[in-house]
Amino acid sequence: MFSRKWWVASILLILVAWPPQWYPYSVRVQLSKWLGASSYRGFPASRNGTSEQAEPFCIEEHEDWGDAQEIEGVAIEEAVTCSADNPYAIAAFVRGTNNVSHHTLMRSGLTRDAVTKGRDLDGDGDPDEIHIRLEVAELNGSSAESREPVTQYAIAPGVKPGLWVFAPKLAGMARENFESVWARNALRLPSPVIRVEQGDRVTITLENTHYMPHTLHLHGADHGFVDASGEGNDGVPLTSEKPVMPGMARSYELTPRHAGTMFYHCHVQPHVHVMMGLQGMFVIEENRPDNWVQTMNVGGGQVRVRSAAIREAYDREYDLHYLDLDKQLGERIQQHRDPRLITQSMHRDYDVTDATQDFFTLNGRSFPYTFRESLVVVDAGERVKLRVVNGGAKGIALHTHGHKFTVTHADGNAVPTAARFARDVLWLATSQRAELDLVTENDGLNAYSPGVWLFHDHQNKGITTDGIGPGGNISAIVYADYMDADKWPRTQGVSFQPYFKEAYYRKEIPVWESYAPGLFAEPGADNWLLLRVLALALGVGMLGGLVSGRFGRRRR
Amino acid sequence: MWWLLAMVMSDAGMVMNANSDTLPRGCDAISRDYEFSIEGGRAHAAGHPGLIFGLSQHELRVEPCSRLTVSFSNLDQVRHQWMVHGLPKYLYPGGMFHIEANGGATMTGTFIVPGDDRTYLLHCDMAQHMEKGMKGQLVVGRGSGDLWSVKGQSDAFVRDDYLPATVPGWSLFMVFLGAALVFTASRLRRR
Repeated sequence: MFSRKWWVASILLILVAWPPQWYPYSVRVQLSKWLGASSYRGFPASRNGTSEQAEPFCIEEHEDWGDAQEIEGVAIEEAVTCSADNPYAIAAFVRGTNNVSHHTLMRSGLTRDAVTKGRDLDGDGDPDEIHIRLEVAELNGSSAESREPVTQYAIAPGVKPGLWVFAPKLAGMARENFESVWARNALRLPSPVIRVEQGDRVTITLENTHYMPHTLHLHGADHGFVDASGEGNDGVPLTSEKPVMPGMARSYELTPRHAGTMFYHCHVQPHVHVMMGLQGMFVIEENRPDNWVQTMNVGGGQVRVRSAAIREAYDREYDLHYLDLDKQLGERIQQHRDPRLITQSMHRDYDVTDATQDFFTLNGRSFPYTFRESLVVVDAGERVKLRVVNGGAKGIALHTHGHKFTVTHADGNAVPTAARFARDVLWLATSQRAELDLVTENDGLNAYSPGVWLFHDHQNKGITTDGIGPGGNISAIVYADYMDADKWPRTQGVSFQPYFKEAYYRKEIPVWESYAPGLFAEPGADNWLLLRVLALALGVGMLGGLVSGRFGRRRR
Repeated sequence: MWWLLAMVMSDAGMVMNANSDTLPRGCDAISRDYEFSIEGGRAHAAGHPGLIFGLSQHELRVEPCSRLTVSFSNLDQVRHQWMVHGLPKYLYPGGMFHIEANGGATMTGTFIVPGDDRTYLLHCDMAQHMEKGMKGQLVVGRGSGDLWSVKGQSDAFVRDDYLPATVPGWSLFMVFLGAALVFTASRLRRR
């Protein structure tokens, strides 16, 4: 008798708790005929948004770094974006770290031998013996001290993929200071742009400061298979040499006969190492008299000391390095500490044939951080040179709003004049380079009007950060009139506030919440339905208990 | 700004915040002079699985108010550092004493430790060098307890698991084995 009561109670509970919105359609129709419509019940109220404060758009640690200035006799062009490169480092890259004062070298953060410049071999007024030293740094790696990544670098708010980069040879710590978890200014993605002059005798010494083997391969830049002493010079462990082991160094030599925009990267397990960030733009400028080039452009972006040939023909120059990243690759250096386990995870467990890209960077950052440092700032009526490399695993469909550009050089080679035409989408496959003429002539073809015009990869993934948009490699062509005094473009659209919150890229903020609050906010839970579902589950559990009890008794 | 720190720089490297005569507060005199020759590089990680870089000496024990002259020899072909952190900031800007040596170079610097018992972190602050072995401790007086993850002194605070891939299978087997043991034992007892 007791048992029957329980049977009835549990079945009744199930029937009563079963939410009417889940009744079979025909049952609902029949019930409506008998009972009419149910009484009004409002939908759940919207939930309050995140309490996270947006980061400041513009973080200017050194207000005067962007000014037009002269250091060591080097005229450095103005940079009006909020994160400008260190002008002392720029001056040291132009003069050579061996030729600048102690004062400039200290402020550059570089070692005395980072970029040394020697004799003028052709007597044309600029040095032709160039010795560059590169180190290898890990960003957002693991530690035996804490679960947080170390030597941190964010590509977007809260987004810190594990990265490996080539870096200029810097004196001192990898972090900003002992209290900080952040990597210092010049330790960043992308690996620095290297810039030499056609005919220079260039030596690049790879000082492998990392815990894994690496090499340097000069993709597209004229170099011998072996160097003058017969040592391997192609950076390819399969054919030319053994990798440079941790703590070891090797020099690569080249005297490039041909100018153009080239590429460099590590060639050890390249399907992994190149995609971790060990890749950079390599520019060979045309030979001109008195041509002191800026040997490194840290972080890419605006070239603040342009070569003689570019000054002759252009008003401004920008280096644009596109790179996509696989989240599941980068996090492998964060999951282990022992280099044996890291190498197993990266080089055997990771299967690049199953890989998908999650992060899309321009000059090492994704939107909105691209707006801090990788804007292409122009004036009306100018001719602007853009050098583009796509180092990513997939192609990019580079699109400019408001402008049509012309490809003058492909993979460092001039496109015949008759074959040049203005276009607004350019496909760049993996490792391809293009040099673009951006003419800001408001003639309806080259440019449509001054303003703030986006440029980005037009493939859908490329404008997201792990699927959240706006993100990815979105940046903008900004006319100087549209740059405000706070070094931020004067936009007429929605606020950037949500995009400067980590929660946005954690997928926790409704995308239109900021300008349509309530309308598309996160709805609260239907507590009445929740109660019914829980009661239903309780009923099902009770019934289950009774059924199993019956079976148990029978077996006995 | 780190470049405002007192620094001696040469082609071989640099020494930051050297101090051979200013006494820290609470010290009346130099209690003792020490000279250490420390080597850093790959060679000192040899024979230690899972480490890449190392120091010839990962622990230094000194008396309070003593003066240390450290010659740091870099056995590798890349930069390394020997840095002490947590020193009093009124005397050592940024709280650090820092020797940096280029590949193959030796740099020497002197500093004076404070008078209280404390254990200071010493390491190479290049990305991942401490994490891959270049971490040590400077124990002044009786010190203030071992730091984590110092080779030869203390365990890693965050350890990798080092378990074979078959561990889920074996764990499941042990669960069933335990159940079988208890079941059998209870049957035997009932008899």
